[in-house]
Amino acid sequence: MSNPLRDMEHPDVIFAIGTNMTECHPVAATRLKKALARGARMIVADPRKIRLASLADVYLPIRVGSDVALLLAMAHVIERDGLVNWEFIEARTAGGDDFLTHVKQFTPEWAAGICEVPAADIERAARLYGEGAPSAIYYTLGITEHICGVDNVKSLCNLALMTGNLGVEGGGINPMRGQNNIQGAGDCGAIPNNYPGFQPVDDPGNCAKFSTAYGREIDCERGITKVTALDRCGMDEDGIHAMLIDGENTVVTDPDKNHCEHALKSLDHLVVIDIFLTDTAELADVVFPATAWGETDGVQTNTERRVQRLRQAVRPPGEARPDWWIISQIATRMGVPGFEFAEAKEVFNELCGLSPIYAGLDWDRIADGEYQWPVPEAGHPGTPRLHEKEFTNGRGLFSIIGYRDPAEVISEEFPVWLTTGRRLQSYHTRTQTGRSAGIEYLLPNETLEVNPDDAAAWGLENGAMVRMSSARGSIEIPVKVTGMSPKGTVFTSFSFANVPVNVLTGSGYDPVTQTAELKVCPVRIEAL
Amino acid sequence: MTGLREQRPADRVLEMTLDGEPVKFTEGETIYEVAERHRKDVPTLCYDPRLEAFGACRLCVVEVEGVRNPVASCTTPATDGMIVKTRTAILEKHRKTLLELVVSENRNVEVDELSGYASQELTELVDRYEARTGRFAGKQSGTTNDADRNPFILRDYDNCISCYRCVRVCAEQEGDYAISVMNRGFATQITAEFGRDLRDSQCTFCGQCVQTCPTGALGDKKALRDAETPGEVRKTRSICPYCGVGCSVDLLTKGEKLVGVLPAMDGPANEGALCVKGQYAFDFVQNADRLGKPLIRRDDGELHECEWDEALDFAANGFKEAIAKHGRRSVYGVASGRAPHEAAYTMQKFIRAGCGTNYIDNCSRA
Amino acid sequence: MPSPSDQELIGRWKGEPAPLLPLLHAFHDRDGWLTDEALAAVAAGLRIPIADLYGTVTFYHHFSRQPPGKAAPRVCTGNVCGLNGGRELLAALEGDGATPMPCAGRCDDMVPVIVGDRALVGTSAESLVHRATPLPAPNPGGREECVFAGIREPGRATLAGYRKSGGYAALEKAVGGMSPSGVVEVLTASKLAGRGGAGFPTGVKWKAVAEAAGDPKCIVCNADEGEPGCFKDRALMDHDPFAVIEGMTLAAYARGARVGLIYLRYEYPETVGILEGAIGEARAAGMLGGDILGSGMRFDLHVRRGAGAYICGEEGSLLNSLEGKHPFPRNKPPYPVTHGFNNKPTVVNNVETLASVPPIVARGADWYRDLGEGEHAGTKVICLSGDIRRPGNYEVPIGIPLRTLLDEWAGGPGEGRSIQAVTMAGLSGGFLAGEDLEVTLDEPCIRAKGSFLGAGGIIVFDDRRDMVRAAHDAMEFFAHESCGKCFPCRIGTQRITERLNGGTGALSLDAWLAEIADIGETMKATSACGLGLAAPLVTDSLVRYFPEQVAAHVENAAAGPA
Repeated sequence: MSNPLRDMEHPDVIFAIGTNMTECHPVAATRLKKALARGARMIVADPRKIRLASLADVYLPIRVGSDVALLLAMAHVIERDGLVNWEFIEARTAGGDDFLTHVKQFTPEWAAGICEVPAADIERAARLYGEGAPSAIYYTLGITEHICGVDNVKSLCNLALMTGNLGVEGGGINPMRGQNNIQGAGDCGAIPNNYPGFQPVDDPGNCAKFSTAYGREIDCERGITKVTALDRCGMDEDGIHAMLIDGENTVVTDPDKNHCEHALKSLDHLVVIDIFLTDTAELADVVFPATAWGETDGVQTNTERRVQRLRQAVRPPGEARPDWWIISQIATRMGVPGFEFAEAKEVFNELCGLSPIYAGLDWDRIADGEYQWPVPEAGHPGTPRLHEKEFTNGRGLFSIIGYRDPAEVISEEFPVWLTTGRRLQSYHTRTQTGRSAGIEYLLPNETLEVNPDDAAAWGLENGAMVRMSSARGSIEIPVKVTGMSPKGTVFTSFSFANVPVNVLTGSGYDPVTQTAELKVCPVRIEAL
Repeated sequence: MTGLREQRPADRVLEMTLDGEPVKFTEGETIYEVAERHRKDVPTLCYDPRLEAFGACRLCVVEVEGVRNPVASCTTPATDGMIVKTRTAILEKHRKTLLELVVSENRNVEVDELSGYASQELTELVDRYEARTGRFAGKQSGTTNDADRNPFILRDYDNCISCYRCVRVCAEQEGDYAISVMNRGFATQITAEFGRDLRDSQCTFCGQCVQTCPTGALGDKKALRDAETPGEVRKTRSICPYCGVGCSVDLLTKGEKLVGVLPAMDGPANEGALCVKGQYAFDFVQNADRLGKPLIRRDDGELHECEWDEALDFAANGFKEAIAKHGRRSVYGVASGRAPHEAAYTMQKFIRAGCGTNYIDNCSRA
Repeated sequence: MPSPSDQELIGRWKGEPAPLLPLLHAFHDRDGWLTDEALAAVAAGLRIPIADLYGTVTFYHHFSRQPPGKAAPRVCTGNVCGLNGGRELLAALEGDGATPMPCAGRCDDMVPVIVGDRALVGTSAESLVHRATPLPAPNPGGREECVFAGIREPGRATLAGYRKSGGYAALEKAVGGMSPSGVVEVLTASKLAGRGGAGFPTGVKWKAVAEAAGDPKCIVCNADEGEPGCFKDRALMDHDPFAVIEGMTLAAYARGARVGLIYLRYEYPETVGILEGAIGEARAAGMLGGDILGSGMRFDLHVRRGAGAYICGEEGSLLNSLEGKHPFPRNKPPYPVTHGFNNKPTVVNNVETLASVPPIVARGADWYRDLGEGEHAGTKVICLSGDIRRPGNYEVPIGIPLRTLLDEWAGGPGEGRSIQAVTMAGLSGGFLAGEDLEVTLDEPCIRAKGSFLGAGGIIVFDDRRDMVRAAHDAMEFFAHESCGKCFPCRIGTQRITERLNGGTGALSLDAWLAEIADIGETMKATSACGLGLAAPLVTDSLVRYFPEQVAAHVENAAAGPA
């Protein structure tokens, strides 16, 4: 997030797109509701009539995967109606002229045909966002889990840049992180393109710095993503043959489940660290029992870049050990030096020493969680709000984006849009929530949410079992008839192992991030 | 520009007299807020600093020079030159009478501390004012809802004192408006729509009503399962393990048992808020399915428990063999978005220092 | 005619000011009671959280949630009717599903029974008839009147009749030649004070609203005449509706308001039609609307009907009720003059106060001031009921002796009876008895006796009456009507009622008195609104004037169930 969570109480206009915040980030949503109670106005763009939609001043039930068209048309209206912040564009950005010329062709009428919402509503939304003082954008995986995820994000950036809604209280572009420490995994360098602190691996200086620090030469080129790695499992040429997976139930969460399972099975050596024997761990050659939350001291970073401490409250079961200890032991036994850590504190302090955004932090300093990175030196108060004076790379760059259809579109064979997501009461593959007493009272089983008109047309009643098939496979699932789903689009989550929806998904990937298009998957539905 | 900004208090510093001492305050502060800053420990039952002051319990009344009746300090703005007394004999008598009245309408005053964050507030005040006198005996107010079988929120309204903190926190803090007040006067009853179970209402089971309840009328059913478990309740500050908001929590333990979770009122990301997962989905940690020993795949093709040394050596050798056979680019590391920094950091270091590659990723692409 | 659909009803009211109550009434009228489906439709239509709406509906005792609902008779068992056959009538009508209601504001012509939208009166099931609100008798003391001066003129309730008897002269005078602040000055100089009970100087209130920032400003007429023993506003509205309308229009002129709302208590069903008819006539004649008297002044009026909640006569509760919120009183400050209806500057004035405005503006401040007795300014309508020969509304010069009203104007107690006690301010002022019956009818004198004149309701109890029972019935009313927000009132009214009911068992007299005194002191000091602040005056005065009756009561209670 460019802005701190507390800023969520202060926008004049909220633009929530591709985020079911009341279910996926409920506590963040409470802040938006407070802003609304104080008189803020809200635009919600989401195919499903989620709870936020019922609170919105303008609700745009756009067709799945049509976000870029909507955002281009909004930019068009903002430009056409003179709502552009010229002062900001001139002082802080680059590429504005080209962008403003580019958007002249994308009328609301054009977008209405793609997004399947009235042009007048697009105009209202654009004017509301353009006039807001300030306007803030919130998004989640509904923006990124598309083949055009990067285009979606850049389109949002364009809107914020052209209206100057960056670096101001109550404004900004604010992706909400889905997992407790997904931000931290990136902060720590667990990505193929960056060392810890988002230092690019292909910068020779960084490469030299880490080669020295770690005492061995490291490739100066980017690694491959997990998606590519899974594709290459067991291959003769450039194949991946050994994998160390920590705390991820890959075969259930990743798209195209059958492909993923096959990939892991073709490895020579699979080592999994987890707290439960997950479907993924079942495939491993060795499984290490890790300490869980509540049993471990450690650090995690939240969605607003706040670095916070986890603390141990109870003894772990049996002989479970911390992940860092297990990985360090494996490394040490492979003869790799530099893993002689005695406690979590030493690991974190080493990270701080190598990461410019953590340079001002150490284990003791973050005890109360008051710092948001970057914290470039000791004594620095941290950076709750990014881009206040200038952008990291100097000027904010406009991007020239065009609309593309999803990887697969509905057809005679697969005439219904499936979109997937999460639910309030369950988390990921339910390894945790499924083992917490009482949750089943609220959410006993998975369902496929179907619009009442569709249900009537397809002859389905509440609770009816259907077979849902995509180009990759099929699953069986009971129907829940609800107005939350728009006509022609169905929804389910990926939480329940007995309804492995990711058997169906995996139609395509964003070419830059290789994030899967989990939000769009044409399917066929047949009554059983 | 909307009026949003106008509501923020100005920074003008003003002065009033509080129990004989001159004290400074800023415009917009209430008498109660000023008194709290000066540790006057003014009693209250209906106040939650996160909510708009309500003025129901009247325990926080103070004397203001020139005003005939005491005023509720929580709802009265401090004004320049005001002379306020927070603890006179007559105020203390009114407070005791009010507490005696409150005690008279409830089935019991003692509740287990596992009931919730604020559950001891009534007990503490009743003790402080020695208000368990048995005076004002009469009918009890509120009717317990036993029919609601939800597994999280105890609705023991026999112990309700109608402070409306639950209703207000649900509306103001959560924005859910799932509960409200029905009837009036002594027949007042907290209810969900049409008297239904919470599951059939707008309730999201965030537990905020439980945590703000000052009497334990609303209680944490999950934590209360361990009411009879021996041991002191200990609190450990940590962060919720679910989404990326990073809510601060206090883990409640008895001995080595994790018995519940409290929202941290001073948590920077959540300021006391939580959701159903953070509040109630904690017991996966001590679930019987947890792995307690390393597992290794033997010749029978099955995973078997083994000792750490064997498992670690086997894991290390497997990677060494892969590197030897297929080269260093044949090893891949997947870090967790769930585990702490130390896990992700050592994982990337394992790949970079161990293999010299950048063949590392995490689960953010799923 | 087919009954209107949910959406038609919602569409009719959604855009109107203060839409919730009329919309709920529309469903209540259509279906006879408020169904779950109706509440869900209203909640969705007005974007009110369903749980809030459900809770709020249960607050009002005239909204029915199950059949027979509105069709079932509601019988007044209030503090006057309870003495005069109300309970017996209720028992007689039980077969029709009759339920009791607190004082319905018809204490001069008993017993009121509401069936649907018909208000009947009678003392037996057979004798129930519809009868118009009694017209105040000509002033028995021959004193010059203010609000009743024109009320007996023929046709006064029609626009033509009103104008013929001097109506709208004041508005013409104001619009024609007075500045808004000039009107306020006249009111201030007249020393008119709020006639609903609080007695706040009207001119000062008007000035505050005129000077407050915020638009649109609002005039609210408090016609929620809920105080037991009070029925003067009913007479004014039924027989002189244009006086209220003209008063509100003058208020709007003086304060720059554009919206006026009349909050009328549920128990006056026929008054709804009278007021709405009069408003329609005034609008058609250009006395309301977009260009009043051709002056360009814009002001319009709407009637909003309550649904049975005494507390809605408290101005904060009344405003919350209008806004569709739970009708709890509001914390003050801020006051309605700056943050009233929809958070805009608002004056809330009583019916009698507003009806006094046209004569004062027409005839001048000096004229009004001089109507009072001696030093006192102006007049007050007293609602006299109970054990008295000629109950009714009397407009008295402020400051005349109570005895003059009771004995000379109203004929004194019944044959062979003597007056044991009277209430003040309806019930809220508690009792006066013994030597304290020699007071004069003005606030300073009555307040010196620990009571107050308030809205002017006086209920007479002759020497037959059990004063502990009278006090119990009064406290039971307050407990029934306590909103439940503040602790001292919610629990205190209940506990005092229990003690007056004898249900407290073996308390010694000293312990009983100490409990009553402690609860009363704390209620009077810490309650959040007038209800809780005033209710203990009942027990204070009971203990003061009738210690023997109290002692006997406590002794009986200790001996066994009453």
